Amino acid sequence: MTYLCNKLNQEKIIIDSNLSSFFSLKDVLKYKSLLNNLAKRDFLVRYKQAFAGIMWALIKPLMNILVFGYIASKINSSADTASNFVFVASAMLLWQLFANVFNDVSNSIIGNSNLFAKVYFPKIIIPLSSILVCLVDFMISLIILIVLFIISGQTIHWHMILAPLFIILTLINGFGIGLYFATINVKYRDVKFIVPVILQFGMYVTPVIFSSTFYMEKLSRFIPDWLLWLFYLNPMVGAIEGFKYSLFGGDAIYNFNYFILSTTISFLFLLIGVKYFYKFERNFVDYI
Amino acid sequence: MSNNTVIKVEGLSKQYILNKSGASKSDTLYGNFLNGLRNVKNIARKKETEEFWALKDVSFEINQGDRVGIIGRNGAGKSTLLKILSRITPPTKGRIEYSGRMASLLEVGTGFHGDLSGRENIYLNGSILGMNKFEIDRKFDEIVDFAEVEKFLDTPVKRYSSGMYVRLAFAVAAHLEPEILIVDEVLAVGDAAFQDKCLGKMNEVSAKEGRTILFVSHQMAVLSALCNKSVLLEKGQFVGMGPTDKIINTYLHRGEKNTGQNYDNSEPANGAKLKIRSVRVLNHVQTTVSEINNLYKGYVEVTFEVFEKGRGYDVSMELKHMQYGSIFTTCLKDIDTEGNDNKVFEKGVYKYCIELPLSFLREGEYIVSFAATIPKVEVLDVFNYDTLFSILDSTSPVAKTTEGRYGAILPVLEWKKMESVII
Repeated sequence: MTYLCNKLNQEKIIIDSNLSSFFSLKDVLKYKSLLNNLAKRDFLVRYKQAFAGIMWALIKPLMNILVFGYIASKINSSADTASNFVFVASAMLLWQLFANVFNDVSNSIIGNSNLFAKVYFPKIIIPLSSILVCLVDFMISLIILIVLFIISGQTIHWHMILAPLFIILTLINGFGIGLYFATINVKYRDVKFIVPVILQFGMYVTPVIFSSTFYMEKLSRFIPDWLLWLFYLNPMVGAIEGFKYSLFGGDAIYNFNYFILSTTISFLFLLIGVKYFYKFERNFVDYI
Repeated sequence: MSNNTVIKVEGLSKQYILNKSGASKSDTLYGNFLNGLRNVKNIARKKETEEFWALKDVSFEINQGDRVGIIGRNGAGKSTLLKILSRITPPTKGRIEYSGRMASLLEVGTGFHGDLSGRENIYLNGSILGMNKFEIDRKFDEIVDFAEVEKFLDTPVKRYSSGMYVRLAFAVAAHLEPEILIVDEVLAVGDAAFQDKCLGKMNEVSAKEGRTILFVSHQMAVLSALCNKSVLLEKGQFVGMGPTDKIINTYLHRGEKNTGQNYDNSEPANGAKLKIRSVRVLNHVQTTVSEINNLYKGYVEVTFEVFEKGRGYDVSMELKHMQYGSIFTTCLKDIDTEGNDNKVFEKGVYKYCIELPLSFLREGEYIVSFAATIPKVEVLDVFNYDTLFSILDSTSPVAKTTEGRYGAILPVLEWKKMESVII
């Protein structure tokens, strides 16, 4: 009986040699429980058989903040140490989120090739689940930031409600670029080695430890002023400036036009990443 | 598409480009860079690739409620067909139309993670196979019951015995409720009782609820028990479709040339532990022959290469009579003259020789096929070629009186006189 009922509203599926698919929210929602279960698996498995367990989600970013915060406070000795520390910590956490999403998304497809080589599901589910895992880690590490905020006696502003927007922008950055690299990774495993290099280098051309103003001053010694926008081709500059602005206000956003340029680049990268992914997605199995 | 057709396959083809020298250098950026340089300097070598059609122009239709077996030798394109049907890989040409929810079971336990508990894996695997949380919740107890793992639900599956692991994996898959179910040779694992249970479940699902099943197996007995229709493929091409018994008969009689030997020097698959390299039929003076005279002795020699040191490997040989079907299967572990059951195989090449029991084999055409497994755990390799040879009638004691004898074998048995009363 159930069968008959299904038969009435079942759809006809066509498999064709030149059929290409594109992102469909309907498909993703249909596989929602797979998305959740994959994310849950990655999260659970990571901390299985580790004595400190889920505490590692706190310890790792904390270490980073301590090291880089210390370095920054030594260099920027002029500024107030405590707020300088929180300043660096907030940028650092957001950068870590980007780095994790970028890295995990770019490795997600080959890491789960055993799944889509045997069962059909929209492959976009895999990188999406990587984002979920990174986001959970980020939420945990936000605790550090909140504690630092309270200790250093930061004031609460209305513009703090903008912060989630820049977290989303960071996810978009990591996802867009990550998806592009995930696609290349299917054929060229070199990606595994390139991504950490990009991330390491990228951190130093992004206002993580220093403010944008600092970079602009240094840069203007080498290049003419009208070329300064080149710095903003890095989509993470906009995200981090915006995040800092939402938390601390002040002059975190160096130049609003440049800021818009950087965020535009974010969406451009997302578009390129998604397009590239869907161009090759159907043939992944043959290249793995 | 007629009213009753659920799957319609039209002109389906799949081409693969093979790199001749295994993993080619051009698979890395550096390799591509080098190739680019060569091209610039105009010393580009001939491309070391080869086109290969895994499927070529295959068309057929399947009606609702049919249980269809897909038959063919290794390399006939069965798995490729299933992969295209289940949308894992796209066809190069042609199209498929189907309606209804389709689930494919090309492997048991896809996505099982050793560190997760049985319970967590049921949810993970279920969602990979396309069930949502609600469906899994509803079926959960049934799945656990079927797999007989209640006590170990919260134990990581890496601590499970291999039997438990397979049972749990199949149990999840068996409780899918698709209108079309695609099953590759996944039942080769597990013990006989469990295999029966799985087949029973599949039969029940198909008969009671009118579902369509596509099933690949090398076991003809299983196919004829489960499937009402079959498709025969050969070297990527469609040969025929019809009632299973008829198709099996066609299949068994479509031998390649009767040579008594087969070699496979192809590159092993990535991560292969073992590969069967050659099979030869030898006569009493150890020469390769295609005909054995049962006056003398006859042997089958198998050579296999072990790539990864390990224990528990087993190689088995099945002997099939063209007319009578399977005669017997014999395993390396049965009587390995060197000994124990859990022998460690070092890396290297092994050669074994099996004497054929000619005293009771009937004359006629035979096929020997080989497979290597770790019993109940995994299939390591299935030899790509069936080796054909024939046994000649001759002057052995029974041959003289073959006429009027029925059955697959001709044993000479002792008739012990117990009593005779003469009136």
